[in-house]
Amino acid sequence: MAPVLRAIFGYCFLILIVRIAGRRPGKQMTPFELVLIFFIGGCTLTAMVGDDRSLTNAVIQIVSIALTHLVIIWAKGRSAVFGRIVDGTPLVLMDHGKWHTETMNRMRIQGNDVIAMARDQGFAALDRIEYAILERNGEISIIPKSQE
Amino acid sequence: MTTVVHAIAGYFFMLLVLRVLARRPGSQMTPSDFVLVFLIGGVVLLATMENDRSETNAVLTVITVGICHRIVSHLKQRFPRVGALIDGTPLVLLKDGKWQTEAMGKAHVTDDDVMAAARSKGAKTLSQVKYAILERNGGISIIKNNG
Amino acid sequence: MPSADSESPTKPVEDSASRVDDDIAVGFDLAFQRRWWRFEFAVWTVFTTLVVLAMFGCFGRGHFAKARTAAHDGSLDVQYDRIERFGSPSVVTVTFGPRAIHGGKAQLWVSESLMNALGNQRVVPQPVEAILGDGGILYTFAATKPPATAEFALQPRAVGGANLQLRVPDSETVNARIFVMP
Repeated sequence: MAPVLRAIFGYCFLILIVRIAGRRPGKQMTPFELVLIFFIGGCTLTAMVGDDRSLTNAVIQIVSIALTHLVIIWAKGRSAVFGRIVDGTPLVLMDHGKWHTETMNRMRIQGNDVIAMARDQGFAALDRIEYAILERNGEISIIPKSQE
Repeated sequence: MTTVVHAIAGYFFMLLVLRVLARRPGSQMTPSDFVLVFLIGGVVLLATMENDRSETNAVLTVITVGICHRIVSHLKQRFPRVGALIDGTPLVLLKDGKWQTEAMGKAHVTDDDVMAAARSKGAKTLSQVKYAILERNGGISIIKNNG
Repeated sequence: MPSADSESPTKPVEDSASRVDDDIAVGFDLAFQRRWWRFEFAVWTVFTTLVVLAMFGCFGRGHFAKARTAAHDGSLDVQYDRIERFGSPSVVTVTFGPRAIHGGKAQLWVSESLMNALGNQRVVPQPVEAILGDGGILYTFAATKPPATAEFALQPRAVGGANLQLRVPDSETVNARIFVMP
């Protein structure tokens, strides 16, 4: 019983932490942020496994996590509100040459992040862009101005 | 007490180590880069957790690291200088058909890396590339010549 | 004309997501996001408080967790952690007073909670004798004169409150309330 509860607790705790730690552009993740994710996962792991390093325990906990994940996915499919709570909503960062400063500050996105993403998609400068949208996975979508 | 202090120290130590290591493309990381990332994370992890395998300890460590990260991102947002210090600045590698050799040498980027990035953007030769820029996350952006 | 896949249900494609400026389809909801940001702020406030409390040792392994209790007749002085953590090593130090040592030995009775809830791993120094009974264990150490100290290395294995009682025979009982964090 205890290993199952520890696994479920660890999973839900990590979801919460990752969700509130701020969305960072997924593709733009720096190696440091990668290390950080591993680090956070590992810390939780230590407590989840505890002293029980048996194969049985590993199997039980992996299955518990997988099932919790399934339940979350199922709940996301059933309820749009729950989906928004777990994944958040896309956010408009820029439209028609105007930065949405509140959103950018709250999400800790800098103008540079958007410019980098624009460059990544081959736009030389911001004036070619109509919208910049922070997606739920942390990607920034760039929508170019339609050709006139 | 020790947990919290170790977590804070570990966070900033990792930040420093990965900042002074060569910037490698996040999306183009080679397996050896991944091994390094896991190795660094794991070693610091062991030191931070010590012999305390309690749930309390794990929760506190994770929260502490989360708070550190939040403070750092907040500082980056407030002070662009801090952002430049922690994330670096974008570097121009190729400009109008000329390699910027100093930037390439210091950043340990080879022309093969740039070629790979250019190919992934559908440029067949470097003559089609106007700019190549090493981004702060280590990715290489390619801006093609018009036409 | 019925096709092979006419059985599989379909649904017309439409933008279910709300639009910005009637132009671009994103599920953008600033009101929801503001509520979420408030929640986020609250969570971080709670978390910061937790970490500050942890710095002072309110969750074990720190200044506030350290406790000391002594028998009024001076037979025994016990240093322990009032907050322990599950499975995490710690030490209880027992100092015998002059009244506790006679005839070249010091005796100490400890309640059973030392073993089952607090998971006693070892006693330093090795007792000469350990006698079970009376809901606990009576340890006998070889001793000359004070100061004399014995240590118990604990690794708690039950979450929740535990009551540790220690006593030198025929003296006052010392009571230590210990809470084990998960």
